[in-house]
Amino acid sequence: MNAYNRKTLVVGVLIALAIAGVVSYFASGEPDGLEKTQEELGSAEPVHKGVEAPPSVFEEYRLAWLGEGFWGNAVAGVAGSLLVLGLVLAAGHLLKRRGRRAATRDAA
Amino acid sequence: MHIASGFLSPPVWGTLAAVSGAALAGSAIAATRQLGDRKVPLMGVMGAFVFAAQMVNFPILAGTSGHLGGGFLLGILLGPSLGIIVITSVLVVQALVFQDGGVEALGANIFVMGVVPSLLGGVVRSLWRRPGWMAYAATFAGGAAVVLAGATLVVLFLAWSGSLPAKVNLAEALGVMDSIHLFIGLVEGAVTVAVVRFVVGARREAVFEAELAAPAGEVPA
Repeated sequence: MNAYNRKTLVVGVLIALAIAGVVSYFASGEPDGLEKTQEELGSAEPVHKGVEAPPSVFEEYRLAWLGEGFWGNAVAGVAGSLLVLGLVLAAGHLLKRRGRRAATRDAA
Repeated sequence: MHIASGFLSPPVWGTLAAVSGAALAGSAIAATRQLGDRKVPLMGVMGAFVFAAQMVNFPILAGTSGHLGGGFLLGILLGPSLGIIVITSVLVVQALVFQDGGVEALGANIFVMGVVPSLLGGVVRSLWRRPGWMAYAATFAGGAAVVLAGATLVVLFLAWSGSLPAKVNLAEALGVMDSIHLFIGLVEGAVTVAVVRFVVGARREAVFEAELAAPAGEVPA
């Protein structure tokens, strides 16, 4: 990997992890705009049968066995950010390779 | 603004899953022609950033909070196709690993926070090739507009799903939702201007890679 891309990744990931791991600890715990609206309208209870999410140790953006403190939030935030990073990099590489292959085929 | 599980009826979430699925498939096809060497790392870090930023709920009014959506930001910095791919990744991880947003509501949430804002971000994108007050103003206004549009769509989806109480009329529901989201939208607009300014300043070659590489006069999609 060249120096330009390495710097993009290192600086970008450091900023993201600082926000996900540290800044987010000071986030407001109040309901968000949609939850608040549903509360005010008296429609906060689900009326349809939904699809249940698979069991997870990161419910409510906290690592379950570290609880509500700083570290439970930090581990969940860092893990989530890295998970998204990995998923996007994998998808990006896959699509880039496909594009390269199609371009070679067109040239041939 | 993530719609939770159990609020959308099967016809509503099914339709939106199909629409967002089609948008994602189209984006993937378009993406194969847009990915130069510098783009993939930028996509990755922007995904990580949007996930992180969405964790930071800021207080607005009494007893309410809001957080960045980020789809508009991604549409500006990456173009609509790559933006949709990245915001979809964020929303999928949130729904499946963090139980934020219903699993069956994923298509709806991708539509509201991804497809619509990323497409609009793509409209503002070219202004940032020469950053100035036009780019700042359009980005600020656009950020507020996509949040209000999203809030309005969510209320409509809930109404079509029969998830609003019978005694509440649509105008009243839209009034509550949109007045709260006006404030959230102003923050989205301001944060988007600041972040785009920073990233375009620091990583212009990656942001406009395809455009800068194209022969003069030719603007690739």
